[in-house]
Amino acid sequence: MGMDRRTFFKRTAGVAIAAGAIGALDMKAWAQTVKDAPVDKRPSLCNMCTSECGMHIHVKNGRPWKVTGHPDHPVSNGKLCPRAHAGLHWIYDPARVKTPLKRVGEWEFEEISWEQATDEIAEKMREIIDEHGTEAVFGAQYPRATGNVYLPRLMHALGVSTVQTHEATCQAGRRIAMSETMGAAFDADWANSDYLLFIGRNMGEAVRTGTATAFAKAVERGAKVVCVDPRLSQSAAITEWVPIKPGTDLALLLAISNVLVTENLFDRNYISNHTNGFVPFRRHIAEYTPEWAEEITEIPAAKIREIAQDLAAAAPHCAVDTGWKAAVGSCYANSTDTARAVAYVNGLLGNIGQRGGISVPPGVILGTPQFATPDTPDAPRNDGAGTDFPLASPASGLPHVTMERAQEGRVKAGFIRHFNPVRSFPNYDHMRAGMQALDLLVVCETHMSETAIEAHYILPEPSFAEREEVVNAVGPTVAMRTKTIEKVHPDTKSFDEIATLLAEKLGVGEYFAFTLDDWNEALLAEQPITLAELKQSGTLAAEVSDEPVLPAGCGTLVPPAEQAPKTKPRAFLASTGGDLEPVPQLFTRSGRFEFYSREFEQAGFDPIASWYEPKTGLELAANEFRVVHGKQAYHSHAATNNIKILAQITKDYDSNRVWMNASRAAELGVGENDTIRVRARNGRTAEARVKVTERIHPDMLFAPAGYGNRTPYYEVSKELGGFNPHDIAEYQKEPISGHTMMSELIVEVEPA
Amino acid sequence: MSSITRREFIKLSSVAGAATAFAAACASAPEAPPEQAPVAEPSEKEPKEPVRMALLMDNSLCVNCQSCRLACQNENNLPVSEKYIRFDYVDSGSFPSVRHHVNRHSCQHCSTAPCVDICPVDALYKGEEGFTHMEFETCIGCGACLSVCPFEVPVISQEPESGAPKMYKCNACKHLIVDGGVPACATTCITNAVDYGPWDEMLKKAEDRVAVLRQQYRDATVYGETQQDGLGLILVLRTPPEDYPHLV
Repeated sequence: MGMDRRTFFKRTAGVAIAAGAIGALDMKAWAQTVKDAPVDKRPSLCNMCTSECGMHIHVKNGRPWKVTGHPDHPVSNGKLCPRAHAGLHWIYDPARVKTPLKRVGEWEFEEISWEQATDEIAEKMREIIDEHGTEAVFGAQYPRATGNVYLPRLMHALGVSTVQTHEATCQAGRRIAMSETMGAAFDADWANSDYLLFIGRNMGEAVRTGTATAFAKAVERGAKVVCVDPRLSQSAAITEWVPIKPGTDLALLLAISNVLVTENLFDRNYISNHTNGFVPFRRHIAEYTPEWAEEITEIPAAKIREIAQDLAAAAPHCAVDTGWKAAVGSCYANSTDTARAVAYVNGLLGNIGQRGGISVPPGVILGTPQFATPDTPDAPRNDGAGTDFPLASPASGLPHVTMERAQEGRVKAGFIRHFNPVRSFPNYDHMRAGMQALDLLVVCETHMSETAIEAHYILPEPSFAEREEVVNAVGPTVAMRTKTIEKVHPDTKSFDEIATLLAEKLGVGEYFAFTLDDWNEALLAEQPITLAELKQSGTLAAEVSDEPVLPAGCGTLVPPAEQAPKTKPRAFLASTGGDLEPVPQLFTRSGRFEFYSREFEQAGFDPIASWYEPKTGLELAANEFRVVHGKQAYHSHAATNNIKILAQITKDYDSNRVWMNASRAAELGVGENDTIRVRARNGRTAEARVKVTERIHPDMLFAPAGYGNRTPYYEVSKELGGFNPHDIAEYQKEPISGHTMMSELIVEVEPA
Repeated sequence: MSSITRREFIKLSSVAGAATAFAAACASAPEAPPEQAPVAEPSEKEPKEPVRMALLMDNSLCVNCQSCRLACQNENNLPVSEKYIRFDYVDSGSFPSVRHHVNRHSCQHCSTAPCVDICPVDALYKGEEGFTHMEFETCIGCGACLSVCPFEVPVISQEPESGAPKMYKCNACKHLIVDGGVPACATTCITNAVDYGPWDEMLKKAEDRVAVLRQQYRDATVYGETQQDGLGLILVLRTPPEDYPHLV
């Protein structure tokens, strides 16, 4: 086979690594080695954010060269975001955990063997459970395919019921709200919509590759796309921007509902046949006029009417996007009810399951492995999910509450995997104090994160490129992470191996009597796909179920039992083609759309979402601002600051400054690039450098998310620095879902 | 003609690690790896009529995610601090009536390219597809190109491995397009703001897009049909070119 130029470049490139072994001047031998070494394009899944885009890693001489999007994967569609390209650098990051580590002092560790580490962990874990019971233990993770199988299994085998995820800093409010109104937090069918309304969501910068592509497709097609946001984000910049006073989205959505109802613009057929509670809703919504909302949101009443009327004109091929975090997930005291109000507007428009509306796409149902499974423990949880917070999802739990109980001495041991709550939850000091109060903290990680360095034992995992994982169902496909290169650090173990090893040491090995391949083969048993074929291709089209499938995504672990439909759906309709019969059965308790929630009512909350202000109110003093954070497309939370090629973007555009409205800056005497001192109402202070801009509401300071790593092991992050609101924010719990209310942070500002 | 790109140059020089080997690798000397032969001899392929190609950047769809920049850096094996693709930003108005526009700032691939004419060592040349390429090893980093570039594109910087000054600019992923491939920026763009195809088709696509944009932005325009006798990087702009610091 002839070698083309592209191959040639790959081959020459790879040899650079082996140069020392070849001999610097022996060009002929070098050339021969070049010629003999193949370039492989190996399928895998990215792990630089939550989305796990299908991709090919181009490997030469065991070294990855570049990545390209897997054309068959429904999230990447052959494309990749900047973080995916930077993933190559992540693999070789000097801050990788290379061997098992045991704590010998604050943030100091010694290398130990796996044997010693697992023996000591097992012994301490048994002692703690014997003395304090399983209620004193928690497991927590950023939930992904392998972790979702092995971590709950290990915890349940030990009798531990508290298994948690990051969701209280993510979409906790939205998930509960959508579950109770329209059955699940389904996405909008962006690409095929005629009118899309986004409430705070920033599709172009909080990137899931295929989501951004679909968003841009709607813009290119000429669909009306409106972004409601206190800030002119990059998404708002390519659409129509409707600025709003931060924390008031709920008022806007109630007023849009009011217009749809009072002007008879709602879908009568859908309301009559597929919803519950419209009569009390209609009464309830009457007071929320556009004029009322204008006073709160600062959006003119005429604009609110225009949005409602345009939505109705486009119905059912239109949607209020269901959001993710932003206004509806974990930012404000009123976020959960803001998410319910998003659902109301969609219900009124009758767009669920319609082309361009709320997408209820077909899905793939994987097989159920039949290996011995531990019972779900009946031990009380230590985070109040389901009790103190009756609607909070036990599938995701409340790690910040567990840290409070650890400080009280009620929680003694934690087992954390691929998750950095010390940096990613407000407040840093609160989370760190909780971790420090534990008698045993075990962290399985690839990197020396803020959470890892608080551990008694750090167990090192191979990076995404070096390991296999549990098979995923993604849209109409199955996909899996495959091992594309040999381990960079030979003493690392993948999480399935770690969990199995620990289970054996802890005497619960009977629940781990299978290999990863066994598990994956069981998942694929009902599919016309072999595991070998899937490993070869990475992503393959699968047989799609004719039954509904709950949407996977951020924080989805196991759908809580109460979210399951009580009756089996009669039929299932995809969001393709023209106008469709309405989806006959939603995932709600009644199977119908719920304007009136008995579950909320029973838990002591409004059965229909009403207006209320953010906890911190809407009135600010002359030198006060609300701190709101949000993503940039080239960083993932606090996980990527240490990657040089991404940090360079931040440096080039000086993009880790906080944004301040130009008029407010002038009033305060703050100039471009000036440093300010911010003081939270709790007295905590920090400094930040300012970008002065017209692109932001006067009330708000915008903090690009994820800057300000505190781990001393991230050398590149230290060069960047940056303000992280979690350093000064309050430890808070929203009453409905227990989320962290991350934008309930008011600061006084003065020039530093 | 032997044309060694930045990517290839780095591989050779880093392997060699010594000035002598560096020289051997750069010249078409006997010691040079035999794999260089196909590079120098496109005649292996069937002769075909060269088609003028273009990159199209529709700035009205760009969310400034920087994926093109990263894909380009990997594809061309650039040092972390060097980038062929940068962005200019323009804000207008005051809150709440504000507009924000972006524009890709990278080599425009002029048909009449002053950099090619002025380069004292003939490192810059026009390829069959109409793009301006550079022989990385020939470049002496003198900066003459920078002095004449209408768009202030070239960046002179020390090549990390050799320490030699070199000029950095978009090479239109020459190693990909000669085989009918697509430049890395166009392949990866998550909003389909970047496209690549025959020049005439790209110009038509840009004009069609601008016709739509003008309903909302009356000054929307195609940039690249006539400038420098036609550009290999065609831009869709929502506002006049003079708004952008590097356009003329």
